[in-house]
Amino acid sequence: MSDHHDENHGHGHIELEYQPALLINNGKLCLWLFLSTEIMFFAGLIGAYVVLRFGVPSGSWPTPHDVHLSEPTGAFNTFVLICSSLAVVLGLEAAKANRSAQAKSWLWITFLLGCLFLGVKMYEYSGKFAHGIYPTAGHSRMYDKPDMYYVSALKKQLEELERKLNPPPAPVKKGEEAKEKAPLSDEAKKDLATIAILRDGLVLWSAKTAGLEENPIEAQAIIDSLAYAVQHSHENHREHDRLSAEQIELNATVPATQAKIEALQASEGEASEIVGLQAELKTDTARLAAVDLLLSNNAELLHHGINHVEPQLALPFVLPSGNMWASTYFLLTGFHALHVIVGLIIFAVVLPRELNSSKANYIENAGLYWHFVDLVWIFLFPILYLF
Amino acid sequence: MSDHDDHGGNAKYWIVFLCLCGLTSCSFLTFFEWWNDSVPKLVSQFFMMAVSCAKALLVMLFFMHLKWEANWKWVLTVPCGIMGIFLLCMLMPDVLYRTAKYSAERRIHAPFAVVESADHHAAEPAKSVGH
Repeated sequence: MSDHHDENHGHGHIELEYQPALLINNGKLCLWLFLSTEIMFFAGLIGAYVVLRFGVPSGSWPTPHDVHLSEPTGAFNTFVLICSSLAVVLGLEAAKANRSAQAKSWLWITFLLGCLFLGVKMYEYSGKFAHGIYPTAGHSRMYDKPDMYYVSALKKQLEELERKLNPPPAPVKKGEEAKEKAPLSDEAKKDLATIAILRDGLVLWSAKTAGLEENPIEAQAIIDSLAYAVQHSHENHREHDRLSAEQIELNATVPATQAKIEALQASEGEASEIVGLQAELKTDTARLAAVDLLLSNNAELLHHGINHVEPQLALPFVLPSGNMWASTYFLLTGFHALHVIVGLIIFAVVLPRELNSSKANYIENAGLYWHFVDLVWIFLFPILYLF
Repeated sequence: MSDHDDHGGNAKYWIVFLCLCGLTSCSFLTFFEWWNDSVPKLVSQFFMMAVSCAKALLVMLFFMHLKWEANWKWVLTVPCGIMGIFLLCMLMPDVLYRTAKYSAERRIHAPFAVVESADHHAAEPAKSVGH
């Protein structure tokens, strides 16, 4: 436009003057356009969450308690962001009034509150990781349903723990003497004994019994019972009654089988029958040890779950829709946290400078972005923590 | 630039801040058991979303200064607002009909629900895999 104006200067043409279409500066216009795309970006993410959250079979989405989400922590973070939003507008007003020191103080408060928000989020994330809740399948200990894959994962974890506590001796090279193994501590011995009982009497017994069971509903009930013993969110008193009845039965069966074997051995009975009875006795003894362990100390393990009483075992657990929850939770809060980090960088750029009215536009735009971050959290807090 | 400087001092921001804190406390009511016992879940969820919308409106109007901006604000906010709502509305059928139109295979691989027992003291996973 200006070139055209220059070319025709002095030739009697109309002088054209640039008129902005919108009565706002370019920076603010660009920021609002960016925020428009951001609204749709987060609408898509929240929409995906809504579909996944409300589309699952009724009652199968984890409650905040199941996934160790603390509502007061979420409310505190909401409060932190609201305070930071207030600090930004007060900082902007101070900058407009050329009160640089005051503006700087308010923006420092905003910056520190943003860091506090991220700190709380990190604390929350670390809590999830400690409970085996990860967004990726490689690290996550969650299984959607109790099935053979789950049983296999339990077996693998117990065997790995056993190897870790009592590693096999290193292969001896030619000409070298075998190194003597360091003696195991009492704690390691206790853990190894617990692992052996859980592996043989709980995991392997469940896999074998469920595999031999012809009725699929009964087979599923055996695996359900195993998953319940490892971790559960609701107490099932019937499980205690069922295991108590099994304990009484096994206490009668094991000595009877033992006596039968001894009688067969004394009368030089058929060897195959003795071998069969010995295998049965081994299985029943392992099962009895596991049931005794679950019901010991007022059934502490059964009531609270093995993962709660023995967290060092870090066993895989069943949580319906748990992995879907983790994916959506980490995606939504992760993207929001990324936006918070970008906001902090924007504030960090301007903080060392003089914050007078010449910086008002910058602070206004930074503030608009920060308020948008606050807006997103306003919707994330109820849908993630309270629904 | 907006002309909100003429609309009072910083007091309005502090009032909005207090309103936001109050509204956050309101949505946090749903955390308490007595609320869940006395208010139906759907009403509670609707209430939480209404509170969130009220908070969002306050932030946009006062902190983002939209209350005092000229009419250009409608050019940018209305289309993206419509797009956002449109997107959510388009996803609604997926939410409403997802379980209604489950294929047998899908149902087998779906996570199963935790069914509350009759005495409300215990709960156990549904026994059948395929429902």
